[in-house]
Amino acid sequence: MRLAWVKNHPTSPTEFYPGLASEWEVSDDNLELTVTIHPDATWSDGTPVTAEDVVVSSNIAYTRGSGAFILDPGAAGAASDIEVVDDKTIQFTQDPENPTREFVNGIMNMTIVPAHVYGDLLPADFEQTLEAARGDDDAADDAREAVAEAGEAVVGFAPEEDISAGPYVLERINPSEALLVRNEHFHNDHLVAPDQVIVRSYDGNEQVWDYLRAGELDSSHFVAVPADVVQQIEAVPGNEASRTYSPVVAGLAFNQSYEPFDDIHVRRALAFALDREQVVNIASPDGGVAATTTSGMHQEVLDAWVGGAAGDLEPFAYDLDRAAEELEAAGMTQEDGRWIQANGEPFEVPIQVVSGFSDWIAAGENMATQLNEFGIDSEILTAPDFTVYQEEMAAGAYPVGFWLIGLGPSPYNIYQRLYGQSNGWQVLAGQLSYSEPGEDGNWKGGPETYEVEGHGTVNPGELAHELRTADEARTNEIMTILAQTTNEHLPVVQMWDYVNTQFSNNTRFITDPPDDARRVTGVTSLAGIWIQQGWVTAVE
Amino acid sequence: MTSSSMVDVTTKGPSMRRNFWRGVWRVMKRKPSRLFGALLMALFVFMATIGPMLYSRPLPRDPNNFFASPSLRHPFGTDFQGTDVLSLVVIGSRYVLLTALITAVVTIVLGASIGLFAGYRRGRMDAVLMRITDINLTIPGIPILLVLSTVWQFASPWEMGLVLGLLGWGALARAVRSQTLSLRERGFIEAARGLGLSTPHIVFRELLPPIAPYIAMNLLMSMILAVWAQVGLFFLGVMPVIGENWGVMLNRAVFDFGAMTTAARLPYMLAPLLALMLLTVAIVLVVDAMDEIFNPRLREE
Repeated sequence: MRLAWVKNHPTSPTEFYPGLASEWEVSDDNLELTVTIHPDATWSDGTPVTAEDVVVSSNIAYTRGSGAFILDPGAAGAASDIEVVDDKTIQFTQDPENPTREFVNGIMNMTIVPAHVYGDLLPADFEQTLEAARGDDDAADDAREAVAEAGEAVVGFAPEEDISAGPYVLERINPSEALLVRNEHFHNDHLVAPDQVIVRSYDGNEQVWDYLRAGELDSSHFVAVPADVVQQIEAVPGNEASRTYSPVVAGLAFNQSYEPFDDIHVRRALAFALDREQVVNIASPDGGVAATTTSGMHQEVLDAWVGGAAGDLEPFAYDLDRAAEELEAAGMTQEDGRWIQANGEPFEVPIQVVSGFSDWIAAGENMATQLNEFGIDSEILTAPDFTVYQEEMAAGAYPVGFWLIGLGPSPYNIYQRLYGQSNGWQVLAGQLSYSEPGEDGNWKGGPETYEVEGHGTVNPGELAHELRTADEARTNEIMTILAQTTNEHLPVVQMWDYVNTQFSNNTRFITDPPDDARRVTGVTSLAGIWIQQGWVTAVE
Repeated sequence: MTSSSMVDVTTKGPSMRRNFWRGVWRVMKRKPSRLFGALLMALFVFMATIGPMLYSRPLPRDPNNFFASPSLRHPFGTDFQGTDVLSLVVIGSRYVLLTALITAVVTIVLGASIGLFAGYRRGRMDAVLMRITDINLTIPGIPILLVLSTVWQFASPWEMGLVLGLLGWGALARAVRSQTLSLRERGFIEAARGLGLSTPHIVFRELLPPIAPYIAMNLLMSMILAVWAQVGLFFLGVMPVIGENWGVMLNRAVFDFGAMTTAARLPYMLAPLLALMLLTVAIVLVVDAMDEIFNPRLREE
């Protein structure tokens, strides 16, 4: 269980559904978080959940360096103090040197484990080591190493019996499925409808399609499903599809170290030359919606952040005449129907995709086809897997490739995808620094500053970094400038906004969570959250 | 391939040639399936040479009509973006056949010459060449191709054909060597040696002609192997899945487009499969005919 489940609200990062915490209070300066554990919260062996469990869980989180539990000097959004107020109340304080808006998320997202099971795994002097690790001298370095080493014991530990404070305990598990049975000690047990849950494992999307077509799943997460398979799934009695906002956008990104992609006219030409509706229709009709413009963020949150200024953005609607004008502005000419660069070489656009990513492959191939039809030599190239793709991309091996952007909901995360490390800006020891194209993972290779209409010289990396700490009004201002910068200078062309398609079957249980509970991230089973909140009800 | 028997290998004349073609026709007529095979083969050769030129590039397509069912206009339906599948099969045939031809030629040239020389010269040369052959036979082809695919995209049939050929000549070299070992003890070779003819003369003018039919049949059989090997490599995704060839189509069909789960997408997979099957049948039937044409014992029945 976690203290709470982050709603991933499009514009407000600190909204939660309750988990083990029943109440939480954030101070006005965002530096202090006071969490109260539900008075009835109890482990499945009958032991009450206490502040001690939260402290032990925080210590374990420190060994992994996750969420707000980071010890590196200068790390932003780190917890500097954890204080037990009483048996059910804990206060977390954020390091005032480098505060962020995500601090509260980092705490609430922590997994809480029982202290009476996990408490002995860490050395007795762990608290002292932790204290020593907060400095920035050599002794602190050693202490940080000791903290990380202490984590090895936790990783290697497997309790004999599953002790849970959630709605279910694990009864048994094998490689293909796990059986969970009701935990009668769960504090919200009265909201839990199913007595047992079987969680199925799968190796490929097709397996999930088969389960769904057989009507065997009461609920499934997002999987990429072709349109005709969706039809088959929806034809099964009881099956229902839910399509909600998913804070992910597919973009076509450029490495501006490669000519002619450093020329804004060339990037604009490509934006005009690609019919995004056709791409989505062919590649991912059920999992995406063609992007209405390029802003760097999902259409769903564009108005919320940018407001009226959204209408001023160039939509880059499919227009081959304007594409041709842009190419001519870039000094290219058309000979025998093919576009030739000023240096006499044919204009070539290699589009990099990943083997096995069916929607990217189909989209990439369709884009290549469209460009060829327009007179630009284009073909797709496949990387063997996503790890290789990311490595090679970071190493600057690809002139053009797919790149997920708009990974919200937090504004900081949204623009990190465009103006973070991949474009030269990174945080070292709390300070933002800029690396030249080709260095330190800067593969996009855009300039450090842009001239943006109405805003003068803009350093997008600095603005994106400021989003960590900016208040609401400033955040809106920054988001507007960055959306406009992205729209004018096109480090990527936004292709489609993802749609979160999830399936359920209402023959036995009605699954009806609110939309924001459908996009909680980083959890193994969303249905587990829905069940404990009472959004899964039995059919009478 | 003017020779029809071992005795008059060097006799060439209009009447011999006429007799030869008459023999070919007789063999073809005896089993109509052979005629069918030859026609099919001709069709594939036409498809790979002239076929791609018949289509304007980029291929016409209708983006609103993707994965269309087979019709008169699109005998194998359309692909994921509305391109006629038949045109993709035709265009893809060039890579497949050209690769197969290059593979076969490389296999034959290396396999036959190494086998002939090793078998004829015996001794140290034989030992060295056969050890090289042994090494070639033990090279694990798939892992090598896996490694090479990280360096090369294999976009050109020349790369693919060369690699497959270089990996696959070992077996033929062994077979040709054993044939040569038996031939070199025959009288006509001994006579040639007695006359003091040079080794290249004996190998190419005396030994090669009687083995030529055997090699020619091997050429066709190794084309089958090459076709399946390259298509298999692309299908399995060992090679980068790009370019215009049947293996890429099959890979896409199965792994990206759900041909195994969705009936509407099946034609896209069946079209290259059918082409592969027909090509194999064509080669097998032609080999069957060649076998009888060149093997005097079968012919003189």
